[in-house]
Amino acid sequence: MKLMTTTARGSAAVLTGALLIGSLAGCGGGSSQASAKADTSSLTLAIDSDSGSFGYDPLRVSAAQRQFFEGLYDSLMTLQPDGSTGPGLAKAFSYNADNTVLTLSLKEDVTFTDGSKLDAALVKANLDRRSDPALTAYSAVAKGGAQEITSVDVVSPTQVALTFAKPQPGFEKNLASTTGMIVGKNGVTDTGSLAATPDGSGPYTLDPSTVKGNKYVLVKNDKSAEASRYAYKKVVFSVVMDPQARANALVSGQADVAMLTSNTVDFAKSKGVGVTQIGGTVNTMISFDKTGKTAPAFGQEKVRQAIQYAINRQALVDALHKGDIPAWNALPKDSAGFTKDLETKFAYNPDKAKSLLAEAGYPNGFEFTIIAGAQTQTDLQAVQKDLAAVGITMNVKMAASTDEAFAAVATTPLGYAPLNWDNPVGVMYGAILNGFTNVQKATDDQLSAATGELAAAKDDAAVKAAATKLNTRLVESGWMIPLYEALTNQGYNTKKVSPVKFAGTNAYPLLSSYAPAS
Amino acid sequence: MEVTMALFITKRLLMALATVLVVAVLAFLLVHAMPGSPGAVSLGAGASQEAIDEVNQRLGWNDPLVTQFATWLASAIQGDLGVSLIDGRSLSADLASRLPVTASLAAGATILSAVLGIALGVTAAVRGGLLDQVIGGFVGLLVALPAFWVGVIFVYLFAVQSSVFPATGYVPFEVSPQDWAMSLALPVITLAVGGAAFIARQTRASMLEALQQEHIRTLRATATPTWKILYVHALRYASLPIVAGIALQFIGLFGGSVIAEQLFAMPGLGQAVQSSVSTHDAPAVQGVVVIATVVVVAVNLVLELATKFLDPKLRAS
Repeated sequence: MKLMTTTARGSAAVLTGALLIGSLAGCGGGSSQASAKADTSSLTLAIDSDSGSFGYDPLRVSAAQRQFFEGLYDSLMTLQPDGSTGPGLAKAFSYNADNTVLTLSLKEDVTFTDGSKLDAALVKANLDRRSDPALTAYSAVAKGGAQEITSVDVVSPTQVALTFAKPQPGFEKNLASTTGMIVGKNGVTDTGSLAATPDGSGPYTLDPSTVKGNKYVLVKNDKSAEASRYAYKKVVFSVVMDPQARANALVSGQADVAMLTSNTVDFAKSKGVGVTQIGGTVNTMISFDKTGKTAPAFGQEKVRQAIQYAINRQALVDALHKGDIPAWNALPKDSAGFTKDLETKFAYNPDKAKSLLAEAGYPNGFEFTIIAGAQTQTDLQAVQKDLAAVGITMNVKMAASTDEAFAAVATTPLGYAPLNWDNPVGVMYGAILNGFTNVQKATDDQLSAATGELAAAKDDAAVKAAATKLNTRLVESGWMIPLYEALTNQGYNTKKVSPVKFAGTNAYPLLSSYAPAS
Repeated sequence: MEVTMALFITKRLLMALATVLVVAVLAFLLVHAMPGSPGAVSLGAGASQEAIDEVNQRLGWNDPLVTQFATWLASAIQGDLGVSLIDGRSLSADLASRLPVTASLAAGATILSAVLGIALGVTAAVRGGLLDQVIGGFVGLLVALPAFWVGVIFVYLFAVQSSVFPATGYVPFEVSPQDWAMSLALPVITLAVGGAAFIARQTRASMLEALQQEHIRTLRATATPTWKILYVHALRYASLPIVAGIALQFIGLFGGSVIAEQLFAMPGLGQAVQSSVSTHDAPAVQGVVVIATVVVVAVNLVLELATKFLDPKLRAS
C-alpha cells in the first residue's frame, strides 16, 4: 500500500511540476494585443501565401503580389490612395494623337541596390524582357497579347516611348502594378540573380534575417527618396497559410496586420481587433465554351441564362461563405458598373430555368463535366445540386494534375474562379475576350463594344455608363455566371496600427498606407 | 568486450551508411521519374523548348544517370546538396537553417511525451484499480485526438484566450533562449499529446511485467526503498520496449512535424517539403528526404546502442 501511495504522489508531482513550469514560462513572455506597446519601428503583416516563392523578380508574379514587391521595387506609375494612377518612376506621361504611343518622362537620381541608375535604356531593357513567357506580369503586353507593346524606344536618357499594336488609351494604369516595376541593371542582365537577391530601388531592402517561405524582413532603403512616405523602419511579411492561424497570430500579437478570411472576421472582431473590409473579388463560373464545341448546349445563350436562374446564391453563401455577399453582378459591388437590376432580373427561379432549357431544346436537361480543385469542390457540389433540380447533370471531377486543371479551358464548357476586377479593361482583354478563358474564340459584339467604350471613357459618367453595359452584358450573355463576392478583410491591431485603408477597390492596401495608431 | 563493442558499432555504422545510400539512390530515381525536367520547372509553363534544353544541359540533366548520381553524391558528401531549381538558393544552407526547428520540435515533443507517458504508465501499473482505469480511459482519449485539432484547442486556450504562449512563429535559440522556449511550447505540447499516450501504454504493460519478476519480490522482502525498487530496478527491467517506443516516437514526430509547422507557421523541414513539392523543386525534395533519412538512421543507431547498454544479456553477446 505504501508502494502505491508513493508512486502516485511522485507522478502527481511530475505532472504538477510540468504544469507549473508551463505557467511560470507563461508569465515571462505573453504578448497579447492588450499588453502590446505601441511600436512604430516595425510592422508585421501576416499574409496568406509565399510572395517570394519564385524569388525576387517582380515580373514573375501577378498584381496579387504587388504589396510585397512594392517594398522592394518602384513602378513606372503608382497606385494612389484613392485608387487612381499617379506618377512613379515616370514623373509624367503623354500619348500621341491616336493613342498608339505612350511617352514616359523618367525621374532622375533613382539608384538601385546594385548601384545602377534609372534611365531610359534600363526601362527599355526591362520591358524588352516581355517575350519571356515566365514573366507573368508581362503576359498582357507580350506579342499576341491584347495590349501588345510592339516596341520600346529610347527617346532620350530620361524619355522612353512605348508603341502599341493598337490604340491603348489608359494604358498607364497597367504600369502601376508589377508590370511597371523596374529591375536594376544587374538584375536585368543576369536575371538568375533575382532568384536570391532583389535588385530594386524601392523604399525597403531585403534584410539577411529573412527566412524564405516563412518570413521576409524588409528594412528601410536609405537611398530611396520615397522611403520617407513609409511609416515603419522595418516591415516583416510573415507567411501564415492557415486562415485560423493568421487570425490567431493577429489576436495574440504576433502580427500587427493580417489578411483574414470572411469566416474568421467575427472571431477576430470579438477579440477586439479592427477589421477593414472591401469587395472586389467575384467568385464566378466562367463559360469557357460559348460555341458548343465541348458541350453543344453551351452554344446557346438561353442555356447559359438558365444556369443563372437555377443557382440559389443566397443558400450557397449562407451554407458555405458566411460573411460574403451573394453576387448576380459580374462586377463587384464597389465598381462603377454595379447594378441592382441584375439582382432582381436573375433572381433564383428554377421554373424559369426549366422553361428556358425547354425553349433551347433541352426540356430534359443535359449532362456535362466540370473540373474542380480542392478550393472549388465544395462550391461546385452545391451548384451541382441546384442544377440537378432543373435537370442539368453537372459531373464534378477533381483535377488529377495541374495540367488537367489548365487544360479544362479547352476541354470543358464551364469553369470556376475568383476574378478581381480592379482593372476591368485589363481583365476583359487579358482573360475574357482574347485570353485563356476563350480558347474557342467566341465573339460578342456587345461585350467588345462595351470594353472599348470603357477603355476610352474619359470621365466618371462615361466610365459608369460603359461599365454598367459591360457588366449587364457579361451576365445576360452567360459568359459570366457569378456566385458570390468575397470580401477582402484586413485585420489590424488597433493599439498599434491606424485603421487600414484600401486604395480604391484594390484588394491589397498600399504598403505606404499602413501607419501607426495615433 | 571492448573489441566486441567496437565491432558492433562498426557494423552498425556501415549498415547505416548503406541505408542512407540506398534511400539516396531511390530518392534520386524518383526525382528522375517525375514528369517534366528541371529546365521546364525552373522556367515555368510556356517556356521555349530551346530555353528548357539549355537549362537542362547546364544542369547535366542529359548526362547518364550514373554520372549524375555520382556527381550529386560527391557534392553531398562534402555537404553540398545542390541548389533549388526555383530560386537557386543553396539547399544545404537552407536545410541547415530549418533542421534545428524540426529537431527542436521533435526532441521537445519526445522528451515531454516520455516524461508524461512514463509517469502515467508507471502510476497506472503500480496503483492499479480505479486509477488504472481512469488513466487507461484518459490515454485512450489522447490517442484518438488528431494532433491538428489538439493544436487548435491549445492555441485557443493558451494563446488567444489567455496569451500565455505565442500563437505562431519561431524564435531561434541564439536570438533569445526564453523566446525560443516560448515559441516551441504549444507546438511541442500539441505533438506530445499522442506520443505521451503511446508511451504510457507501453510503460504500463512493461512495468506490470517487471513488477511480477522474482528479483522485484525479493527486493520488496529485503525492505529496499520503494523508489529504488520502482525507478531503479523495475523501470530498468521494463525500459527496453519503452526506450524503443520513445525512439519510434522521435522518428514519427520528426516526420509528422509538418502539421505543427503549418499550424504554428514554423520554418522547419516539413514546411520546406510542402513548399518544394508544390513548386516541383525536385532537388529540394531529394535533399529533405536524404536529411530525414540520416536523422532516422542515426536515431535507430543510438537506439540499438542504448538497447545494448540497458540489456546485460545483449551487452554480453
